[in-house]
Amino acid sequence: MSTAQLDRAAPTVAPAPGGVLHRVGRLRRTSPGRLQLVLALLLALGLLTGLVAGVTAASARAGTDDLGERAQPLLVEAETIYSALADADTTAAQAFLAGGLEPAELTRRYEADLDRATTALTSAARRTPADGPAAEAIGKLSADIPRYAGLVASARANNRQGLPVGASYLATASRLSRESLQPQAQALFRSAQREVDAGYSDARSSWWTALLVILLLALLATLVYAQRHLSRTTRRTFNIPLVAATGVTLLLTLTTAVILAGQRSHLASADADGSEPVAKLAEARILALRERGDEALTLAARAGEGEQEKDFDETSRKLTGLLGTLDREPDSAVADAVDAATRGHGDYGIAHDKVRELDNGGSYDDAVKLAIGPATTNAFTSLTDGLGQGLENRKALFTDEIDVAGRGLGSLTVLGPLLALVLCVLATAGIRARLEEYR
Amino acid sequence: MRTRAAAVAAVLLVLAVAGCSGDSSSPSPQAGPSAAGPAAAGPGKTPDTSCNPRASLRPKKALPKPGAMPAGTYMRTIQDRGRLVLGTGQDLLLFSSRNPFTGQIEGFDVDMGKQIAEAIFGDASKIQIKVVPYNQRVAAVDKEKPAERVDLVANTLTANCARWKDIDFSTIYYDAAKKVLVSANSEFRGMDDLGGKKVCAAVGSTSYDGIVAAPSKPIPVGRPTFGDCLVAFQQNEVDAITTDDAILAGLAAQDPFVKVVGPPLSAEPYGMAISKKHPEFTEFVNAVLEKNRKNGTWKRTYDEWLHDLGPAPDPPAAQYRADR
Repeated sequence: MSTAQLDRAAPTVAPAPGGVLHRVGRLRRTSPGRLQLVLALLLALGLLTGLVAGVTAASARAGTDDLGERAQPLLVEAETIYSALADADTTAAQAFLAGGLEPAELTRRYEADLDRATTALTSAARRTPADGPAAEAIGKLSADIPRYAGLVASARANNRQGLPVGASYLATASRLSRESLQPQAQALFRSAQREVDAGYSDARSSWWTALLVILLLALLATLVYAQRHLSRTTRRTFNIPLVAATGVTLLLTLTTAVILAGQRSHLASADADGSEPVAKLAEARILALRERGDEALTLAARAGEGEQEKDFDETSRKLTGLLGTLDREPDSAVADAVDAATRGHGDYGIAHDKVRELDNGGSYDDAVKLAIGPATTNAFTSLTDGLGQGLENRKALFTDEIDVAGRGLGSLTVLGPLLALVLCVLATAGIRARLEEYR
Repeated sequence: MRTRAAAVAAVLLVLAVAGCSGDSSSPSPQAGPSAAGPAAAGPGKTPDTSCNPRASLRPKKALPKPGAMPAGTYMRTIQDRGRLVLGTGQDLLLFSSRNPFTGQIEGFDVDMGKQIAEAIFGDASKIQIKVVPYNQRVAAVDKEKPAERVDLVANTLTANCARWKDIDFSTIYYDAAKKVLVSANSEFRGMDDLGGKKVCAAVGSTSYDGIVAAPSKPIPVGRPTFGDCLVAFQQNEVDAITTDDAILAGLAAQDPFVKVVGPPLSAEPYGMAISKKHPEFTEFVNAVLEKNRKNGTWKRTYDEWLHDLGPAPDPPAAQYRADR
């Protein structure tokens, strides 16, 4: 090792970083150099701000659109699939209980349920990415619904010929519905709920927004610094283009703040007054249908109170709790609907207890008559109708809020970069004029 | 309550000490001195031949008049309640199935229960039918909760020694034999041809154990009921169904594309199941059966439901245990 090697190594290493730093350092020492630096900084910040403003707006818009056009409809469709399947199962069991030729009304209701389920499944499939738990659930549902329909059709055909194997077909169909179809629909519902949650955070685009705020502040600070520097080093108090640039930046800040704050506030109310009650009401409707199904299956099994009746009690408790939390909805239309549902649930609970009492007391035929009779059916219908009304009301509110939330984001996508460009032009004009003076 | 418990204990003691040979391995290990008896091999695998399953309790008294059951008897409990609770199925055509037109459960087994109700109340309609899952037929008469308990099970239940340990059977009211149901165009002639094939039976039935034990080694498939087995068969999920010829006849009557084949695999004598807690009720049921065998009611019931199986044979003769 010799000192000569060290001496030679130093100049070859130094130029790369040292060269730029050295030149910047040299620029800082002269007034025109300093101005050049400030201009470079302003241009860089301006362009970056414009870019980020555009990206933030685009990302928030994409998130909001995805939430409104995909995630939330998916949630609603998942609920439709679930409740339609549960209702089909209950309706088939009630038709069986009715004995004889199944009532045409129940047949129609079953057919309508199946139609609703398959239609919702088709559009849910369009809204779901190719892999993941939601797609898996949709795949299983698509395979099992035709199987289910086939079993019920066989049950009917056998029933028409007076063959008791029809009842076995119905029991097999019901098992398929309860053990595969409904759990899959529930999995889809849960996954849709997660997507809605993720949708809200995408729509808020918090990281981009934070970056935009930092850039805007840095830009303003730089502009203020540049103007103070110029007013000190020159005799002019105001540099008109730079003042205009500051105005443009403030305008950009204000526009962004107004649009993003508006979007967030509408998102918040879409979430709190739309998605949340929709999820709860949907869950309540599913629980209600489960109760009715439990009742019908207990009677169809004719084996006294078994697992199904325990499930009824548990489901009923959950539903009462859920209706209690929904009762605090501030909107009066929803509160009325929930009230009606709660009353219906109370009446239905009383009727159900009577049904169980009759069945346990050995009056099976009377129990069946009461269970599928008009009084019980009306009580139950006012429960589901109340929930349905609340659901429609909240769905409409969600759609409105999301529409409003998405408004303005599109213009910000264009306006952001455009204002930034104007700002850059102004900044260049303002500082170039001073630089000319040093020539 | 205490007297009842004492009575139960007394009955158990009698059965344990002086019971028929099959009861030598009664559930309580300290009760029987002959734990090394033939039944010690364990139920399920080898048939338990430690008793005569056809032998029931001999009626000690003449039948009381309907509506006037002696105080303190279980029949009185039923009479006071106002209905007999019969445990049965709803998917065995001919024996106990739901009539799709009326929604009522009817069949040979149901009529057996109705005849008991008739003897208690003088009114055959004072009966509550409770559907009992196949694997609960023995347990149903001894359920803890009154709402789950039934007085009597008549549900194509084979009287065998393993079940005699938990419950009492009435005398035999029907003699069935195990056979196999296959597709009408298949070449299977019996269980021996079904090695490696899927064969269905209700979970908890002796038929299911029969598939497991068959030397040809078929693949056993369990379903909650035999009706579900027919569904599985029609959906091509299984190749055959095995159970008693009487049940198979009911299944075959619903599907023209099947046939019942095979030599009788085993004799399946049907008895009604009654809790060991009230032997007087078993004796009463036996007395009713005896009366109906003699006065032609049994034959009439047979002709009503099972006429497709041929002319009514003589009713199975009652056998009673020597010790009672």
